Amino acid sequence: MTVDTAPSVGSPMGARPAGRRPRITDGWGLLALPVAAYLLVVLIVPLVILLARSVTDPTLGIDHYRTIFASPTYTKVLLNTFVTAIAVTLVTLAIGFPYAYLMTLASGLWRNLLLVLVLVPFWTSLLVRSFALVLLLRDTGVVNETLQAIGLIESPIPLMRNFTGVLIGMVQVMLPFMVLPLYATMRSIDRRLLHAAEGLGARPAFAFWRIFVPLTKPGVLAGSLLVFIQSLGFYITPSLLGGPQNVMLGELIVQQVSNLLQWGFASALAVVLLAVTLLLLAIASRFVDIRRMFWREL
Amino acid sequence: MGLRSKRVAVAAVAALTAAVAGCGGDSSSGEKTLTVVMWGGSAQEAHVNSYITPWAEENGITVLQDQPTDYAKLRAQVEAGKVSWGIVQVEPNFAVTACREGLLEKIDTSVVDTSPLDPQFVSECAIPVLQYAFTIAYNTDVFPDDHPTSWADFFNVEKYPGKRGFWRSVTSGIFEAALLADGVPADQLYPLDIDRAFRKLDSIKEHIVFYDTGDQQVQLVASGEAPLVQAWNGRIFQAAQQGQPVANEWNEHFLSYDTVLIPRGYPNADLAQQWMAHFIYDLEGQAADAVASAFTPVNDEALALLDAEIAAELPTSAQNASQRAIVIDYTYWAEHYDQITERFNEWLASW
Repeated sequence: MTVDTAPSVGSPMGARPAGRRPRITDGWGLLALPVAAYLLVVLIVPLVILLARSVTDPTLGIDHYRTIFASPTYTKVLLNTFVTAIAVTLVTLAIGFPYAYLMTLASGLWRNLLLVLVLVPFWTSLLVRSFALVLLLRDTGVVNETLQAIGLIESPIPLMRNFTGVLIGMVQVMLPFMVLPLYATMRSIDRRLLHAAEGLGARPAFAFWRIFVPLTKPGVLAGSLLVFIQSLGFYITPSLLGGPQNVMLGELIVQQVSNLLQWGFASALAVVLLAVTLLLLAIASRFVDIRRMFWREL
Repeated sequence: MGLRSKRVAVAAVAALTAAVAGCGGDSSSGEKTLTVVMWGGSAQEAHVNSYITPWAEENGITVLQDQPTDYAKLRAQVEAGKVSWGIVQVEPNFAVTACREGLLEKIDTSVVDTSPLDPQFVSECAIPVLQYAFTIAYNTDVFPDDHPTSWADFFNVEKYPGKRGFWRSVTSGIFEAALLADGVPADQLYPLDIDRAFRKLDSIKEHIVFYDTGDQQVQLVASGEAPLVQAWNGRIFQAAQQGQPVANEWNEHFLSYDTVLIPRGYPNADLAQQWMAHFIYDLEGQAADAVASAFTPVNDEALALLDAEIAAELPTSAQNASQRAIVIDYTYWAEHYDQITERFNEWLASW
């Protein structure tokens, strides 16, 4: 008794009850070792170096962080980065939700077609897509010239070098990350629940709103999180389609790394971005169970 | 996440692995190779084919290539003591700051005779490799008869309506152009009055658009999106040759150049120095490159080997040189690059 005070499930070898789920302590945990080692090398170690560099390069101290928060430029760009990421997430959700719903309604060929449409962006280089959008959206681009030719507008409407351009460009890139989790969740919802609600007297719209939409919550949250986090690191699309005021933090970090060779300062900027992101996630997790929304996915 | 953290991470991991592996740097001993790194694309192809490969073949040297130049990678290699880049094309201000920080090999003047070069382009660790000009590029459909011929015109949005394109970089000549347009005499331009330059830029702010690459630059002016662009002469010339409605105005152009250098600790640094010595006198190679890439030779004698038609589109031809406003002062930029970048970012963010 004094030796084996572990919880009773830690039964002696060979006496494992049939049907019990494998436990991490049984040696199954070794399966996670390659991934853990990989993450340690490519993620944890660089992150630690990044953190260390931000307070040691070129001199020991928190000067970089003081500079960042004292400068209106960096706080403004940081704010702009989060505002952009949030706006992209909301627009992507607004467009992606009906699209994913349509995919669950469509059958066979149509569903595959919708799936391919949403996946096409994955198969084209980001730079090519962004340049193509420039050709479409600029003042002398296809959209403006067509609208002018048919007399709908007199002078070109500014579709790029502003926030509109950034949104159009980024939403297009992010749509698959929203649609796919949404679709996965929606597909697993038992549609008989809707019939049951209607059978009990609910109108279809009411049943949809009260039964179906709440059940999509895990997909909505997973998709939103994927889109939001990825949007934070964007800079090529905003730099091509946005104006000077739409610059995101990623671009300033690249500038510090590649042009100014201020790696200490670049590290500090990256740490701030990471810290604010984690902070936002911590706040979000008070309202939703972040672990659960991925759990339910699988 | 984004490319952002990846690049930092890559640099960090590279530094770490090198530190773990211990001292190195004598990798390709015995074998005669020279690794050339330039800005990439068709220009790099033209440069290497014109003045590196012929020399290498003659001397039994294998040319390896990488692209594009990345200052962060260069620094990571030198700091890790594992230098694989031999000849690297960079902007002149980087050559000055990196030399001062001890990241570069010094030019061995007992091997490399720099006397045919313009002395203001030669620094302790770098020699010029090509010249080019910042010109007023304009769309010939939008301005068929009368086009801007000075930076004052370029900033005159009433007389010449339309957007103006600038390169989004502090060494793009944007400040120099603004000050000339504001009436500062060319010979009193440096040190730049940055406040005055920003005031001038503010006056046409809503007409300014920025480009980041040479392709964007040509697209802007050729499509008429920004019928006036402060541009690189060679890009505009090539676009015009392909039939696009663009042209260079040579009046008040800025002469600029790129340099080549050797990262400190490159195992075959002596080969790199030998190539530099050869290159400076390689008139045929430089002339061939001018034809292929539309950049300008650094040895003026190479001009004599070029057709008059091509020479007319180079900033160093007698006719164009007489219309030059300034030579970009990269010693100034080496000193002020960081601060002015900071202010430029601030200005852009407050757009």
